[in-house]
Amino acid sequence: MTTSHPPAFTLTVDVQPTALVIRVGGDLDHETCDELMRAVDQNLPGAGLLELRVDFAGLEGVDSMGLSTLLMIRRRTDAAGVRLHLDRRPRVLDRLLEITGTLEHLTAPRDGHGGERSPGAG
Amino acid sequence: MLVDTSQQPPTGPRGAGTGATWGFAPYPVVVADPSGGVVGTNDAATALFPGATAGAWLQDVVPAWIADAHARLRSTVPGPRNPGSGVLVHGPVGDRTFEAHPTRTDDGDVMWWLVDDTDRRLAEDALKAERERAAFLAGASSALLSSLNVERCMEVTAGLAAEHLADAAVIVAPPRGRKVQLTFCGPDGVVVHRTVHDDVRQLPGLGEALRGFPPVPSRWIDPAAVPGWAVPEGFTEPVGSAVVTPLPGHGVPAGALILLRSSGHAAFTESEEIFARLFASRAGAAVSAARMYAEQASITTTLMRELLPPRLHAVHGVEFAGRYRPAGRTERVGGDFYDVHPAADEEQESLVVLGDVCGKGLEAAVLTGKIRNTVQALLPLADDHQRLLGLLNGALMNSHHTRFATLAMASVVRRAGIVRLRVTSAGHPPPLIVRADGEVEQVRTRGTLIGAFWDVSSTTVRVELAPGETCLFFTDGITEARGGPLGDEFFGVQRLETALSQCAGMPAEAVVEHVQMLAAQWVGRGGHDDMATVAVTAPHHAHLSAVNGHTRGRYTG
Repeated sequence: MTTSHPPAFTLTVDVQPTALVIRVGGDLDHETCDELMRAVDQNLPGAGLLELRVDFAGLEGVDSMGLSTLLMIRRRTDAAGVRLHLDRRPRVLDRLLEITGTLEHLTAPRDGHGGERSPGAG
Repeated sequence: MLVDTSQQPPTGPRGAGTGATWGFAPYPVVVADPSGGVVGTNDAATALFPGATAGAWLQDVVPAWIADAHARLRSTVPGPRNPGSGVLVHGPVGDRTFEAHPTRTDDGDVMWWLVDDTDRRLAEDALKAERERAAFLAGASSALLSSLNVERCMEVTAGLAAEHLADAAVIVAPPRGRKVQLTFCGPDGVVVHRTVHDDVRQLPGLGEALRGFPPVPSRWIDPAAVPGWAVPEGFTEPVGSAVVTPLPGHGVPAGALILLRSSGHAAFTESEEIFARLFASRAGAAVSAARMYAEQASITTTLMRELLPPRLHAVHGVEFAGRYRPAGRTERVGGDFYDVHPAADEEQESLVVLGDVCGKGLEAAVLTGKIRNTVQALLPLADDHQRLLGLLNGALMNSHHTRFATLAMASVVRRAGIVRLRVTSAGHPPPLIVRADGEVEQVRTRGTLIGAFWDVSSTTVRVELAPGETCLFFTDGITEARGGPLGDEFFGVQRLETALSQCAGMPAEAVVEHVQMLAAQWVGRGGHDDMATVAVTAPHHAHLSAVNGHTRGRYTG
């Protein structure tokens, strides 16, 4: 994809009693987003799980497929009744979420504005 | 065949005819005197040559090749201690073959030891044939796989089959309608393509072979039943035998192979038919791969024609220009798209749309096509951007995935030399405007991307362009092009704004060219995402109002 070596993608999954914490490092893009999706799918829904925290402190870049994955994760957490938090977002992620108008939807509480609704409700 | 023998069988007994020691030898032994009279035989020889008894003439009781060899031996001068002066000979006896080794007895007679070598010869012949076939198949495979051209594959198959398997070969392609494509190769090695309109079922087994059923043995095909259209022109003799075998393809038959031999040649044996099937399976794989490739290429070309970005031109006194650079070096379509939908007349607004579908390659291109078609269908509602985007969003919603699109759109009309735009972003980077003095500003429109949530919202912003000013729509392939001195830096909005500030007063075509060129230089030889730009420019002077941009329009001052 690039001439220089892109930062290595890292993923750590920390299963706590009521929270699932996934730390993402490097580029979340079309090559790596499947790994994050798999990590979420393998742990959701979990017994007693109340929240999923994705920690982006180590994130260096994100592309449209990365965003698509976050949107899918939001669908999964809504379906599982789990609250999604996108923690420690770097500027690059915030900017993408702002431009695409997805920040509010992704970070809203479960029954809040911008959530999943049936076609009739829209 | 005469061969010098170096290994001698044991020399004969002293008393010829007594049967003392060789009488019970497991090999047939015949002793004859120099004049050609049989002196004695053992039991094994009597069983092989029933008339060979003492006193009979050798030439009357053994095959000519032994009698002749004996006559030749007579002319050589026998040395007393030179028992091996004879040479071994080889020939058939009944349906078997033997080697005959001569040795001299002390009496001057010649003792013929016969060794049955039928099985060894058969094994040697079979091994030789098998080696030739393996070499032929290997050669055939490399000849066939070197081409992805269907016609070329058929030619190679017909040529190889006619040269190695039969006198003539015909490849029958799977019929399309009533037309049947044939590829002939006759004994002269010349390959000819021909299309016939005949019924393939006229040749027994051909209809079945084309449907992939097992081949029909040649003995079941009456040579007289081979129709004229299935015989190459150079094949003048009557057909003696025929084999019809399918060319197995990937799932569906790639056609059928007809092998023909003239009546002057032996009919096909079972092992030849099996071998023909082996050859056909390789040829079929190659032909079918070539056909699949040809079909894929044709599908891609058809799809591309629909998906390629259009050429833009001036509409109702407003300049439009677009540039597109797909990510893949080999792909010509991708996830970025743009369109200009001209208004019916210059009083109404034309619609320009530029967008980006998440993902890459053909999958993204197909979604791109869906969006472009939907927007086209929704054009009557283009007055209300929010409504158009809401309907487009509904059309793209899918419960299985969250593949979304972002787009920026503008309704454009020129009034009294000023180009007025209503600009709306649906999750897309907002367009930039370069003013006549080189100042660059962002259009303050925002909105939700489409295809991911059931409810989307956006704001529409009105802007005006004075002559020489341009509004530039772009995809993030431009701003996120990685390159620069170290190859890892984004081109970024800042650099894009700087580049654009130098485009004040430029025509639309020059603006997109300049921006794409700078981004391409920034990336260098590294990979990049799809890059698309569309410029909407208010022309400087009296405007040309051409209906389609290709013809010279009228001056309205």
